[in-house]
Amino acid sequence: MNNPFILYQEKSKELETFPYIIEFANHKIQNIQLHSHQIKLSEGIKICFITEGKFDWNIDGQPYLLYPNDTSMTCPWQTMGGNKGVFDIGSLMWITIKPQVFEQNGELVLGDWSGISETDQRVIGKILSLNKKPILSRLKSCQQIFQNLETELFAQEMGYRTRINHLIDELLITAVRHLSKQDNLRRDFPQTFLKLEQTLRENLSDPWTVEEMAGLVGLGTTAFTEKVKAFSGFSPLNYLINIRISEAIKLLNREDLSLTDIALETGFYSSQHFSSTFKKLTGYTPREFRKSKD
Amino acid sequence: MDCLLTIDINTSAVKIHAFDMNGRVICWKKGSYPTFHPQPDYSEQDPEQIFITTLFILKNLLNEHIHPNKYKVKAICFSSSMHSVLPVDKSGNPLGNAIIWADNRGVKEAELLKKLPQHVNIFHTTGTPIHPMSPLIKITWLKNHDAERFAQTYKFISLKEYVIKQLTGEYVIDHSIASSTGLFDIHKLKWHQESLDFAGISTERLSEPVSVFNDSIQLKKEYCVTLGLSPKTKLIIGASDGCLATLGAGIIGEGKATITIGSSGAVRVADKQVLRDEKQRFFNYLLAEDYYISGGPTNNGGVVFEWFAKQFGDFSEGLEFDEILNDLFKTASHVKSGADGLLFLPYLLGERAPLWNANARGMYFGLNINHEQKHFVRATLEGILFEIYSIGKILETHRNFEDVYINGAYASLPLWTQILADMFGKTVHINDNHDSVAMGAALMGLTKLGVYSNLEEAAATVKSIETYHPNTKNHETYMKYFKIFERLSHKLSEDFEEIVLLQQEI
Repeated sequence: MNNPFILYQEKSKELETFPYIIEFANHKIQNIQLHSHQIKLSEGIKICFITEGKFDWNIDGQPYLLYPNDTSMTCPWQTMGGNKGVFDIGSLMWITIKPQVFEQNGELVLGDWSGISETDQRVIGKILSLNKKPILSRLKSCQQIFQNLETELFAQEMGYRTRINHLIDELLITAVRHLSKQDNLRRDFPQTFLKLEQTLRENLSDPWTVEEMAGLVGLGTTAFTEKVKAFSGFSPLNYLINIRISEAIKLLNREDLSLTDIALETGFYSSQHFSSTFKKLTGYTPREFRKSKD
Repeated sequence: MDCLLTIDINTSAVKIHAFDMNGRVICWKKGSYPTFHPQPDYSEQDPEQIFITTLFILKNLLNEHIHPNKYKVKAICFSSSMHSVLPVDKSGNPLGNAIIWADNRGVKEAELLKKLPQHVNIFHTTGTPIHPMSPLIKITWLKNHDAERFAQTYKFISLKEYVIKQLTGEYVIDHSIASSTGLFDIHKLKWHQESLDFAGISTERLSEPVSVFNDSIQLKKEYCVTLGLSPKTKLIIGASDGCLATLGAGIIGEGKATITIGSSGAVRVADKQVLRDEKQRFFNYLLAEDYYISGGPTNNGGVVFEWFAKQFGDFSEGLEFDEILNDLFKTASHVKSGADGLLFLPYLLGERAPLWNANARGMYFGLNINHEQKHFVRATLEGILFEIYSIGKILETHRNFEDVYINGAYASLPLWTQILADMFGKTVHINDNHDSVAMGAALMGLTKLGVYSNLEEAAATVKSIETYHPNTKNHETYMKYFKIFERLSHKLSEDFEEIVLLQQEI
């Protein structure tokens, strides 16, 4: 194994062929140094894995204690650092990846290097942007990926570029899968479903796909669709339409909103799409519905 | 061929069944919706979501099964859960979400009313226990804590009334739902002035009470068109789910009681007379004019076993929740009656009947070094059923019943049914219908359509398919433990109160 190291983009030649890797480190802290870990924004998606020690961190204003095998995952709009501005004694590994596009609304384009499909990238972006718990507890499988990354990067054997790109994809997938699963225990689907419903309502103007909804609760689309159907009687998309129309009816009662405003706010593509869906279900056009109340 | 639809708007879902004219189920469909808890004591539902879900399920059932098979819908009969309050403005627009039965925000209002002399008369006149569940208390809470919304409210209605208002444009409430509001005189069938005064409202702010057989309301033209229903389709307003479940269990008449255990539970009897309990432990709700359903509800039914399963079930093999429950039932069946001396008080959610103590809490009692995990499983199950028995036992001081009829997802599991038979020392029957509420609504609708001449005749068509007989030895064992169960439940009231105070500080 190599000695502890910290590689920086533009400084370390190992990263030259991987412009999207901002930092990559295997770090050991033997004594506490002032200002060694100040709270600041990450430059990309930052994933840290704790191998030894106990770390007192602050992520987005919240204190967290991290223990060995814990992983933190932060987005460019989140701040992170040591709670007292320092690194505690221990060892950890981290990597910061800069996606081509990553907006706070969840829009994510990793870049040409990634083999993750466009659909899955959208799902990952969505999950990360809605995520409120940046700590993945006891995710030991990250360690192996970090070690493989390190080996590939320093040995530079044939095919190492491909391997590294793959390993980073794998790291992202492993972390995000764990993220969506840890809060959604299969023992309590009703609770999971209620949380999903709340997330959908809070982000109703988004064009949700089944993949995104399933990803958010840590299930495959087939299992997700089956569970939703058995639990609610609806397919996921019909369930979503129900929520959209329910919210739209409330907004229709407000005179100051135009039909287009309401349509877009509740996630329909256009006022026509809204009107036809609404009419199909209720028998009224939204305009008629509004009038019928007077 | 003719058919009848029943629409049941319950706490977790709307269920729509189609019945033929002989009361047999043709098909059914459900659509669920969530309950929101913006604060721990609050339980709310989105009225638009419930309406849209109802419409959606209705439309799909019609398009997928009824219209393609050329069934003609003669009538639709409605059922719903009790006690919800939805304030609406002059245009009928909801002012916020509906407050449902499980909502406890009115604890203080209920305590206050219980200290006033008129509470005795209000209880006996309206049939509804003085409890935060009742709309009387909820409306009073709105008056005291949300004056603006209270003032803006044109009418206080239930979720059922809201759905009917949307479908027909009319504000009507059936006598059955009205009888669960705490605002309605169940003897004279009109709003009760004393209750209205306490809540600070007049009759204009409530819907017009009508018979459960009322069919004067009509589906709006637009809905006839989208749903493909004839304008002649009768809308029968129907009753509440608790009352209809009793009818659907076929127990109208003397000598019978029903036990319902779903997530919560109840023991009920049906009679032509009101049951008068001076200690105010039982409700009297109207199934129909001159038919009273009396009994006691418990908060702690299947939900408590589900809690246990979530905490202590074995999830290691990636089993689904239902499988985990079944494994636990199997474990429980390997322990003798009485759980080898381990007792459980199931009051995790406070308790309604017969204690009526919101501060009651759960407890395992009698634990010794030989008790294993399986004893906890058995004791948990027995504790839930002891609570059911404690309601039944007091109910028996008012009404004799020899036969018990079971409904609800949990009560009809073989192990549960056998324990109930043993505890009660009575014959327990399981009926042939999978959904007693829908069955009850169908029987009510078919009576209105003239298929049956009255509700007794309708109820007599319900057949039991399975019978469980009590084991005398087990019965004796349970009676010994029950004595301790009952004594503990009362004895601990001071300690319950003290621990709740500490819990509230958290």
